[in-house]
Amino acid sequence: MRVRAVSGDPVVGFRAFLDGIQRSQVLAYYGTVPLVHGAVASAVRVRDDRRMRTWEAPIVSQALYAPLAALEPAFAKALAERVEVRDTGVDAHRHPQEFTARALTAVQRDRERAEIALATAWVTRASEPLLVDGGISGAGEAARHPLAIGVVKSHRTLYAEGDSLPLVLGLREGERTTAVELSSPRRVPVASWYLRLREAGERSPFFGLVRVEVARADSLALTERADLVSRWLLAERTPVSLPDPRWDVMVYGIRECEQYLSAIL
Amino acid sequence: MTPIDSAPAPLGRVVATERKPNTPHEFHFWTALDAPVGIGTIVRVETSRAVSGVLPRVYGVVTEGFSYTDLQTPLHDVLGADGEPGNSAAAPTERTEIRLYTAAVLRHVPEEPLQPVPMGTVHLADEADVQTALRMDSYVQGDAPRGIPVGLYRAGGTQAAVHLDADFLLGPEAAHLSISGVSGLATKTSAVEWLLGSIFAHFPAAKGRVAAVCFNVKGPDLCFLDQPAVALSDEDKAMYETLGVPAAPFGDVRYYAPWTGRGYQLATLRSNDALQDNVQPLTWGLRETLQYAEVLLNRDDVDAKADALIDFIKERVLDQPFSDDFLDGKHEVRSFTDLERWFRELLRGLEGGNRDVWRTHHIATIRKVRNRLSNISTRCKGLVTDDGSVSDLPFKEGFTDRTVYVVDVANLEEDAQDLVFARVVSQLREHLEKRQLGVEHVVVFVDELNKYAPADGADTYVRKMLLDIAERGRYLGLVLFGAQQFRSQVHRRVVGNSGTSLYGRMDPDELATPGYQTLAPATKARLATLEKGQLMVRHPHFGQPIFVRFPRPAVLSGREGVERFPQAEELSLDAAITKGLRRLDPSITLGWVQDTLALAGEDEDGILRARNRTLQARPDDVKAYFKAQLRKRVAPDPGARRGPTPLRVPSSDDPYG
Repeated sequence: MRVRAVSGDPVVGFRAFLDGIQRSQVLAYYGTVPLVHGAVASAVRVRDDRRMRTWEAPIVSQALYAPLAALEPAFAKALAERVEVRDTGVDAHRHPQEFTARALTAVQRDRERAEIALATAWVTRASEPLLVDGGISGAGEAARHPLAIGVVKSHRTLYAEGDSLPLVLGLREGERTTAVELSSPRRVPVASWYLRLREAGERSPFFGLVRVEVARADSLALTERADLVSRWLLAERTPVSLPDPRWDVMVYGIRECEQYLSAIL
Repeated sequence: MTPIDSAPAPLGRVVATERKPNTPHEFHFWTALDAPVGIGTIVRVETSRAVSGVLPRVYGVVTEGFSYTDLQTPLHDVLGADGEPGNSAAAPTERTEIRLYTAAVLRHVPEEPLQPVPMGTVHLADEADVQTALRMDSYVQGDAPRGIPVGLYRAGGTQAAVHLDADFLLGPEAAHLSISGVSGLATKTSAVEWLLGSIFAHFPAAKGRVAAVCFNVKGPDLCFLDQPAVALSDEDKAMYETLGVPAAPFGDVRYYAPWTGRGYQLATLRSNDALQDNVQPLTWGLRETLQYAEVLLNRDDVDAKADALIDFIKERVLDQPFSDDFLDGKHEVRSFTDLERWFRELLRGLEGGNRDVWRTHHIATIRKVRNRLSNISTRCKGLVTDDGSVSDLPFKEGFTDRTVYVVDVANLEEDAQDLVFARVVSQLREHLEKRQLGVEHVVVFVDELNKYAPADGADTYVRKMLLDIAERGRYLGLVLFGAQQFRSQVHRRVVGNSGTSLYGRMDPDELATPGYQTLAPATKARLATLEKGQLMVRHPHFGQPIFVRFPRPAVLSGREGVERFPQAEELSLDAAITKGLRRLDPSITLGWVQDTLALAGEDEDGILRARNRTLQARPDDVKAYFKAQLRKRVAPDPGARRGPTPLRVPSSDDPYG
């Protein structure tokens, strides 16, 4: 892994922005089993003449998440007749918090599924670049398509170690690392690199640092593409996403999409 | 029926939050950024939730607008642009922005139950909506419509005529009109000219006859109401047509003006020879003046004792034979000249008899009253005649329907203006009370109302009279149309009793006064920047103030009038007499007048007196009558002769005044 200055000035390249949100809360307990209400929404917001609008229709769904095996069959049946129920598939006699954690994981998966559905729809029917909030390696067909670009804002997992780590954390504004291929057994292999959107200065080394995921390409093409996509991302630094606390790494299109989803969910 | 799929898309949606809830009288809605909505736009709210089986509709007028983005603080934008304003424009995405409007409710349909405005879609009001929203449906339609067009409402492609209710403009339900606005911007005089034309065109005949008495208090403002405007624009003509008012000057206008101080010609800027047919002198004698002496006499000067003597003169001396031991023979006081002679003899008699008191009146009081009353004919020179000759508005003959009577007092001193105003209005009231005026409704237009009925200052006779009209005039058919630059400077009972108020462009300082507290800041801002020909209207039927446009008056403006009809030059005595008499007999020549005057050997006062009496009598044989008047020798005016007084020509070249 090496450090490169992004060649060329920032340039506007993204046409659309994809994000998803989720909400969940424990509605009630059936004995010791929590009944969790979950709602997810995902949307693509298209930029026309510098203003945002929704592309096609957002995906919105809500359901009750519960381990059906832990409920009385009659109650589970009555519940299913009235609301959408997702079985979290846990045996009875577990710690109630485990039930809740399972439910939240299920809600998260539903949100990811909604995002993947929209990303797939976009790369199938649209012809311009889409910025996806988060990684794309789990997005199946979209992860293989050059129109989908994932931007990861959090760095719980760092794809750098040893000598590479100081390179990543020491990036200056407008610098990126060379792209590397990331692969895991249940995910689509993608090309990825780190990019510093804003100068960190004396702040956290993660300030302004994002990781970009794109579909794999050959080495030469990938260098050009990484530079171009980086220039697109650098162009999205304004307007800033304040007052969101993640404003240093969140492009305004994603914040706008998130606000839209908050309004409709 | 309009098919659902072709119904116009909503303009906006009603929104409400806990912090900014809707109420029965106010609601909020947002629109697209390019929606044709502005302050004053009338909208209709529709909802799909029925109340008592009826889908409610709410009408409102936009009173405030807000725009904001998702920015929490302006500093965030500065940071995002690195402190360079140009960088913000280069951002690939514009921030999410909202257009949020506040509307004041005009009407709920149905009216009960009166509930907060529900969430629903917001639509631009069409013509029918405007009628419903302003409750005009109750008086514009039906078998006996009584709508008086006041202007056109225009917004977002909708154009609708706005009517006032005649019952609330000219009585008896409410009455009076107050119009405020800065000078020179097509408010006040122009709006009143337009509205009078509209009243004459639309006031229902079944409700009686109507006339207008206008006091021209400055320049040539009202001097050419019978002359057509120079060139009305196509837009103005279209407005006249839409509003059903003829784009023509007033058909019947009569002018009244006092003589100049010298007495040769009338003190009016309408002195051009071509316009003299309907101009008449306004002159009063002692009787007419003494009746309103209170207007002219300074209360600090004239105490109870003087009042008592004046009352004695009015009741016991005036217009009747009067004799006394101190007087030589019988006196019949009919003019200021007679009165002066009466005073002279009385004082001579008292001094000769070494007496201080006459009929309980002290000699000092008698001297004081003599001084003050004699002074009136000097202060009101041209209006008040020494010889008692009277030329007045047609109170006895009767006013005629749809006629404008213009009383030009622009060149009189303030005292004399007050006298004219007080007497004319009192006479109107008196004749209306007796149903002897010939019309059932009279609109009295007074400009500069703040001068006659000020909010502060002394409680003058004129102010008391105006208060009386404002509070009781509607029952008589006496309607006050008052104009002023600053409404706050007019007595609150006068403006408070005005059923209808019009506002042109307002001075921001005036808008900061308490009388405008009920207006939203955006409405005030619009008022402060109104264009020519725009008005804000308040009327009892309208739940909220409404903005309208009105056409330029179809009459010649004062400025254009003085250019087209220049003022007549100052004439010699012979020429002035000739000009005056030729109005009655066009065959009279300057040569005949010169010969007649040379033979008569009369002094100037006598000649002018003879002319005035001839003009007043309007005899069939003008020459013979005039000669006969010259032969009637009357004691000359004791007052000093003054030089000619030039007419006051307005400095402003603004056509609207």
